Amino acid sequence: MEATFDSLFLGFSVALRFDVLWYAFLGCLVGTLVGMLPGIGPLAGISILLPLTFGLDATKAIVMLAGIYYGSQYGGSTTSILLRIPGEAASVMTCIDGNAMAKKGRAGAALCIAAVGSFIAGTFGVIVLTLIAPPVAAFALRFGPPEYTALLTLGLIFLAYMSTTSLVRTLLMAALGLLLGTIGIDVMTGHFRFSFNIAELGDGIGIVPVAVGLFGLGELLATPSHQVKGDVTRPRLRELLPTRKEWHESAMPIARGSVLGFVVGIIPGSAHIISSFLSYAVERRVSKHPEEFGKGAVAGVAGPESANNAASTGAFVPMLALGIPTGPVTAVLMAALLIHGVPPGPTLVNDHPNVFWGFVASMYVGNLMLLALNLPLVGLFVNLLRIPYAYLYPLIIMFCVIGVYEVNHSIVDVWIMLIMGVVGYGLKKFGFDPAPLVLGLVIAPIFEMSLRQSLIMSGGNYMIFLDYQQRPIALGLLATSAILLLLSVISSILRQRDWRAKLAQAEAVERQ
Amino acid sequence: MMIRADHVAGGAFIALGVAVFALSGDLPFGTISAPSAGMMPKLMAGLMMAFAVIVMSGARSSQAVTEIDWSDRWHAILVIVITAIAVVFYQTLGFLITMSLLVFALLVVVERRNPLRATAYSIALTLFAYWLFSKALKSPLERGLLWF
Repeated sequence: MEATFDSLFLGFSVALRFDVLWYAFLGCLVGTLVGMLPGIGPLAGISILLPLTFGLDATKAIVMLAGIYYGSQYGGSTTSILLRIPGEAASVMTCIDGNAMAKKGRAGAALCIAAVGSFIAGTFGVIVLTLIAPPVAAFALRFGPPEYTALLTLGLIFLAYMSTTSLVRTLLMAALGLLLGTIGIDVMTGHFRFSFNIAELGDGIGIVPVAVGLFGLGELLATPSHQVKGDVTRPRLRELLPTRKEWHESAMPIARGSVLGFVVGIIPGSAHIISSFLSYAVERRVSKHPEEFGKGAVAGVAGPESANNAASTGAFVPMLALGIPTGPVTAVLMAALLIHGVPPGPTLVNDHPNVFWGFVASMYVGNLMLLALNLPLVGLFVNLLRIPYAYLYPLIIMFCVIGVYEVNHSIVDVWIMLIMGVVGYGLKKFGFDPAPLVLGLVIAPIFEMSLRQSLIMSGGNYMIFLDYQQRPIALGLLATSAILLLLSVISSILRQRDWRAKLAQAEAVERQ
Repeated sequence: MMIRADHVAGGAFIALGVAVFALSGDLPFGTISAPSAGMMPKLMAGLMMAFAVIVMSGARSSQAVTEIDWSDRWHAILVIVITAIAVVFYQTLGFLITMSLLVFALLVVVERRNPLRATAYSIALTLFAYWLFSKALKSPLERGLLWF
């Protein structure tokens, strides 16, 4: 424990440097704007702005990109409450009661509760991250190829289990992502796979063009400007403070949302989205006045907003400690670290302590910055929503093109982004969630490599994954995968209308 | 029989899987215990096709293809065509000219905005992006044949 605090102290010495603070501030500011703008979520925002970090060192780059990520969670609540338009998917639940509160003249209080809840949950998440990431990373040093194969399998099954669409659709998307991930040179045999004599495809398909295409361009293609409403009321600063009763009603939902969000955040899948739906369901169930939900219940804002922020932080545990992304956003952040020559994973804590602890410490600072940014400046941010969308999306498209091109200075990447934009538009129309595709694309090379290395180790014997004496961790992970898969199949057969189905329905409504 | 959304989607994924098998014919599969370069793509294509068949088999519960809302199609087509043209000329004309024309075309052709306003906006926006990347962030942008 003492070592952890010493390391955290080192982190703060990095995070409190003026230049790092500046990039944390920029990330938080841009993230808030990204979260507020319809048609551009945190994933597209991070992917598009990734090239902005190329001139920076790894610490500043990851601090800025993470600021964009958790800043977008804060920003998403503003449009949800004031316009009933979720800036990003995790804010869907905030729309219901947040906007109902706004209609009752309590917009300022709803914004304040959302911001304070996000701050508490975010800070709680960082404290837990500080305590558990290093031991998890130390434990993961025992992992060999069989354990990684089993862990990635579990990750994919978890993704399908927690998915907002059906199990089969999620697995189909993951298989497509894994298939796309095989494009390029096979590092073990040197064969070119599906590269069609295009030199750039030899290195495979990058995650940035795919993510920007699917989530950025695809979203813009499906959002004509006449469908975006621009009428917005600007809350006054003096209306921001909630009453004592509202504070009292929000205290426990914030606490429950923080814990629930962090736990869900660690699990692969659209964690921050799922966590807000789960939190809303929990709050309604434990409330003494469930009939108030949908009509401006304070708990309906406090719980989901806290949960989605805690989940954003929780998602960093597997990324930093195991080098495994739990969702497309962490996958892009991993790609960003790799671009800066810092491989995330169990060795990150020891090999790059400045990056790891600087990043963790910057999250404490970032949460504080976001609170300071979001409350007094909410009126200023709301002005952004008055800019006609017709003028805004050409700017986003320009940034998509530059963002993708600047990664490798490759026009092939831009074409991939355009193709993925069309694919993303099509997937949206046919009700497929592209997130598992991105995750499959990222883990494909690691999965294939660890599977083949495992088989080389065992002389081609698949029992290496089930050897409880030599590989108990791999066996445990695969057993968990099998149980989850079984549960999912049973659930599908019984066609239970559980919370995941409701989540899918709500997201379908949001898409319309 | 009414064609449903999942029939079309499933069919498209099966067609893609067939294409992958056709294109990966020259890749060695190896054996199950010693996989080679062709195993993973074929395995994933096979899995994708299997899932696509399951999606198609449950297509009754999906909406009819004719019920899918394509009202945004012209917007999507115009945006993608204009952006594709910009991509074709990006390396030749460079950042400033291509991006100004891209923003201008999106505003005038897709959004039917006033050409004068669109010109001013597109030039201002492109100059700002140029300053941000080239000067502030020292990330060189494509100059093109005209050297600016």
